[in-house]
Amino acid sequence: MEAQGILERIKRIIGEADLVWVDDQLGDPYLVVPKEKLRRLAIYLKGDPHLAFDTLMCLSGVHNMGERDEMEVAYHLYSLRHRHQFILKVTVDRPAFFPHFYLRVDSVSGIWPAAAWMEREAYDMFGIHFVGHDDFRRLLLPTDWEGHPLQKDYQESDVYRGIGTMREEIEGVLAEESG
Amino acid sequence: MKPLTTETMILNMGPHHPSTHGVLRFILRTDGEVIHMCRPDVGYLHRGLEKIAEQLPYAHFMPYTDRLDYLAAMNCNLGYAVTVEQAADIEVPPRAEYIRVLAAELNRIISHLISVGTFAMDIGAVTPFTHTIREREWVNDLFEELCGARLTYNYIRFGGVAFDLPEGFFDRLSQFLDYFEPRLEQYNRFISKNKIFKERLVGVAVISWQQALDYALVGPNLRASGIDWDLRRDEPYSVYGDLEFDVPVGTSEVGVVGDCYTRYWVRIWEMEQSVRILRQCIAKMPEGPYQTKVKRKLKVEPGEIYVRTEAPRGELGFYLISQGGIRPHRLKIRTGSFSAMSIVEELGSGLMVADLVALIASLDVVAPEVDR
Repeated sequence: MEAQGILERIKRIIGEADLVWVDDQLGDPYLVVPKEKLRRLAIYLKGDPHLAFDTLMCLSGVHNMGERDEMEVAYHLYSLRHRHQFILKVTVDRPAFFPHFYLRVDSVSGIWPAAAWMEREAYDMFGIHFVGHDDFRRLLLPTDWEGHPLQKDYQESDVYRGIGTMREEIEGVLAEESG
Repeated sequence: MKPLTTETMILNMGPHHPSTHGVLRFILRTDGEVIHMCRPDVGYLHRGLEKIAEQLPYAHFMPYTDRLDYLAAMNCNLGYAVTVEQAADIEVPPRAEYIRVLAAELNRIISHLISVGTFAMDIGAVTPFTHTIREREWVNDLFEELCGARLTYNYIRFGGVAFDLPEGFFDRLSQFLDYFEPRLEQYNRFISKNKIFKERLVGVAVISWQQALDYALVGPNLRASGIDWDLRRDEPYSVYGDLEFDVPVGTSEVGVVGDCYTRYWVRIWEMEQSVRILRQCIAKMPEGPYQTKVKRKLKVEPGEIYVRTEAPRGELGFYLISQGGIRPHRLKIRTGSFSAMSIVEELGSGLMVADLVALIASLDVVAPEVDR
């Protein structure tokens, strides 16, 4: 089914309100949904026999710091049964305080188990909290790492566990060791 | 007298363990030999490639894709090049396309050779590894002729490849293929049909097609679970549409669909098909330029694109978001090993410790590709 046809089906189920359809210049068009509707839509996308999106190809976090400081989560879905794809997006404004309280998106790991690790990675890199994930921790970085490196305004701390992370300091240590 | 009790034990497997193919740790809770819980701990090889990509011009990121999966550097190069070419609308001359496919398929062969060799080594047969490494050495020599490097090639450029094929390359390649094709039969006698090898793997850690889809497994792992899906055939990129090849899919000829043995067997089959593709490339190689002129300061129109290609470890997806500058706004890399690693947690519990080694080896996980 073409992307337009999929959109029509979606509209029939969850209504047209708040859905934003974006025709992208480069790639395929995508649908931005409000985060309250995400889980319901995801269940529908997987369950409807005419859509049957059985694989989550890619889940990526994106941080935009243009006019608005916002976080995006992009879901690239593919249906091996019908050989069609669809792109979903959710955007959340990045709050100044209490990100664990305001920067939250529903987890889809119960619907596509592949999302479990992808969401953990998105949390690790962007600090987006996924609600309803049953094993929510950092994935790649150590548990005591500060900050989320793929945020655009991320500042690496100078020291990690007593080891300097800046080049001058490392060179200083090396010079001390050698002589 | 104290009653006889049993208790479970926490066991760390890794980060340095010969069967983890890189630096990778598993936290196991075992009851004797049986695993109750298996928790992969990844991230030891995290180099922040996605962050680096945001800070470099498009062309400068190419050498980093070599390090994405160092056993299949050519395929990672190709994936990235195809993504940026689609985004920036760059034409590739036909000769370059054929050279790319040739390089990618050669790389697929040596990647699968390592996979098969280490697989046999992990479950206790050391000799096959030396055999597969010997074949790989020959291909490394060919690659050295082609681009000067033996492991991280940095060969594919936007709009073509870095160098044309050297004089007499086809002769040496055909020589290799003539030598290699009968070797596959030898491997089959040597490993695939070995009774001990089969008994270690048949029926172990079966992944059903439903599980494979749920965990978004890709490439040979997906095909071993009985799903007939190959990007090269179903969504052809480059010149794969003009080439003839079969897609090996797991059958229950030996063992069960989706067990460790089938995953191994699919890779042997794929090497055979790659040889077939290589022979066609030699026959069909067109004359002409091997590169188009691309602007030095490449800019991509604002927008986003998700492109996937078939690397030896399955789909390699690049999700590129551009805001019109000379650098990407975001480059997400989705790799096959990542999803293969995420299924270990579910499959691991209930296996024997020795079977976990077989499972990891059969999924062909390469740690740098998981961590990026």
